[in-house]
Amino acid sequence: MSGLNILYIEDDARAASRVQELALQTGDTVTWAATGNAGLMRAGTECFDVIILDRMLPDLDGLTILSRLRESGVGTPVLMLSALGRTSDRAEGLDAGADDYLAKPFEAEELLARLRALHRRASGRTHSAVILYGAFECHVKARTAFRNNRHLSLSPKEFDLFRYFMENGGEVLTREMLLRDVWKMDFDPQTNVVDVNIGRLRRKLEEGFDRPALETIWGSGYRLLDGQ
Amino acid sequence: MIRLGAIRHSIFAQIVLWAIFTAAEITFGLWMLTDATIQRTNHLALERAIDLDLAGMVDIYASGGAEQLASRIEDRLALQPRNGNSAHYLLADANGNRIAGDIGKWPKIKADASEATEIELDNAAKAFVRATELGPNLRLLVAHEHHDLDVLLRQVALAFLIGGMLAVLAVALGGWMAAHRLASRIESINAAFRQPDDAALERLARGSGDRDEIDELTRHSGNALAQLKQLAAAHRATTDHVAHEIRTPLMHLDNRLVKALAATPDSETASRIADARTEIRSITRMLESLLDIAASEARRGDRHGLAPVDLSVMAARLCELYADSAEESGHTFKRDIEPGVRIEGEEMALMRLITNLLDNAFKFVPAGGTVWLVLRKGPTLIVSDDGPGVPEEQHAKIFEKFSRGKRHPEAEGAGLGLALCRAIAERHHLEIRLAPSEKGACFTVAPETK
Repeated sequence: MSGLNILYIEDDARAASRVQELALQTGDTVTWAATGNAGLMRAGTECFDVIILDRMLPDLDGLTILSRLRESGVGTPVLMLSALGRTSDRAEGLDAGADDYLAKPFEAEELLARLRALHRRASGRTHSAVILYGAFECHVKARTAFRNNRHLSLSPKEFDLFRYFMENGGEVLTREMLLRDVWKMDFDPQTNVVDVNIGRLRRKLEEGFDRPALETIWGSGYRLLDGQ
Repeated sequence: MIRLGAIRHSIFAQIVLWAIFTAAEITFGLWMLTDATIQRTNHLALERAIDLDLAGMVDIYASGGAEQLASRIEDRLALQPRNGNSAHYLLADANGNRIAGDIGKWPKIKADASEATEIELDNAAKAFVRATELGPNLRLLVAHEHHDLDVLLRQVALAFLIGGMLAVLAVALGGWMAAHRLASRIESINAAFRQPDDAALERLARGSGDRDEIDELTRHSGNALAQLKQLAAAHRATTDHVAHEIRTPLMHLDNRLVKALAATPDSETASRIADARTEIRSITRMLESLLDIAASEARRGDRHGLAPVDLSVMAARLCELYADSAEESGHTFKRDIEPGVRIEGEEMALMRLITNLLDNAFKFVPAGGTVWLVLRKGPTLIVSDDGPGVPEEQHAKIFEKFSRGKRHPEAEGAGLGLALCRAIAERHHLEIRLAPSEKGACFTVAPETK
């Protein structure tokens, strides 16, 4: 997958440079706009894959920018970034039309992982009936899973988890993303329920095969390998 | 139909009832007084008339003797007025034997004391009588009928009954209208306190234009509520600002650590840096919990933003998530969820409430123990376990912020989980309690009883 073309509207220069640095490594391009008005202008005139929007900007409120963007017909997926991490703030941002919401402080890896998922969702790659990735097959309607044409017997929840990994094959998925998209939770339970569920899925995906299927990216999340 | 409870809880309904009762009472009192006055006046008139009649008779006896008197009595009886109060006489000897008159028998009345009393005549009419002793062997009794008084009293009673009913009706109608108007004005104040949204505050600020006490109260309430709202908004803005100011440097610190992690080849240093990052994350989480608690507390009782939530479905989903990890950690996890338990609420917050309780249980119960989750209509949620339980001295404090129990010092967390549970419960008019149990801890969440 070629790099993403990202617009980053943010007044904090250090946060912006950190994201830009990381984007260089991953092959993405980040255009930085330091004020709301500048960001609004660029979003209206240029074409981006995704927009990162800080909620608290000195000149314009992030929610206002978002509603202006949507009013003027810009449908680019928007990830809203904010120091306001409360549940209600998140809901407010998502209600205003943001496609995702990330609280500061965030890890740059988490941000980029989410941007990739957003872009993939927006470009409609996730809607096919059969998802193929490496040695894995996921039949969405029939809710069946295969590795090297061998059927994998998964519980309904394990299948949902597997499907989410398949939709994001090869990408790092963070705990937060898994919690939000698979379990519909925007907070992290204090116990290791996620790790346990991933562990069970991993065993089922790897049982009887030599090569690993799920990789744990220490401190970031998990990634589905091609299994070949 | 007006319910009794509504009357008991409305001061205006009580005032109207009181006014109706008072009007009825006053009317009844006036009727009693009028009735007594009529009877007394009539009695006095009768007494005067009878005394006059008796004095005339005594004069006749004095001038003409007993025979003259007897013949005059017969004359009088023959000339009874048809439409007046008929008079009756009895002239008798000392033994009560009739000499003249139309009364058959001497009644129980003493002539020597000139007694007066009420008797019933042979024709069943009531009469007022007075007796006197004319001589050693001669007594005279004069009686005047007064049967037409009852008719008059009945008419008076009827007039008072109709008048009283009209008065009660007028008081009830006027009172109800006044009370209704007052109650609706007070209700607008109460409504604004219950749901202080902009529209309600604007209504209060406008006032009613009556420039009376209630109008003043309305305006004062509006001002007080607006001030409260401003304070809450300012408080929120401050906490948001503080959160922002703390989070941003934390983020930079974390970024520095990431860079250091990438640069170091030493695995021991790397693991220490990773620990530092974990701590930063837990500080962030603590900040988030504090902000969530503050937000829940600020929105306590505010129905804005609540939507129907199927608790049964939610609980089942969460149980599914925990069931696997319970199996791995060697716990028994038993669920009993009644289907179709619904509540108006904030879905994510309620999920957080259930999750925190389950987290808590699995954190403190050693392997081999059992955790129960029961959900019933009401809604009533019970999360219990057979673990070490909560020591008696901590019961009162367990739902307070930073009350990290001493029961498991090694268990991580800032001591905000249960405080957040309580804030979320109260936001939904629910009450979270640590129920007494023989073994382990038993948390119940049920509708507020207060």
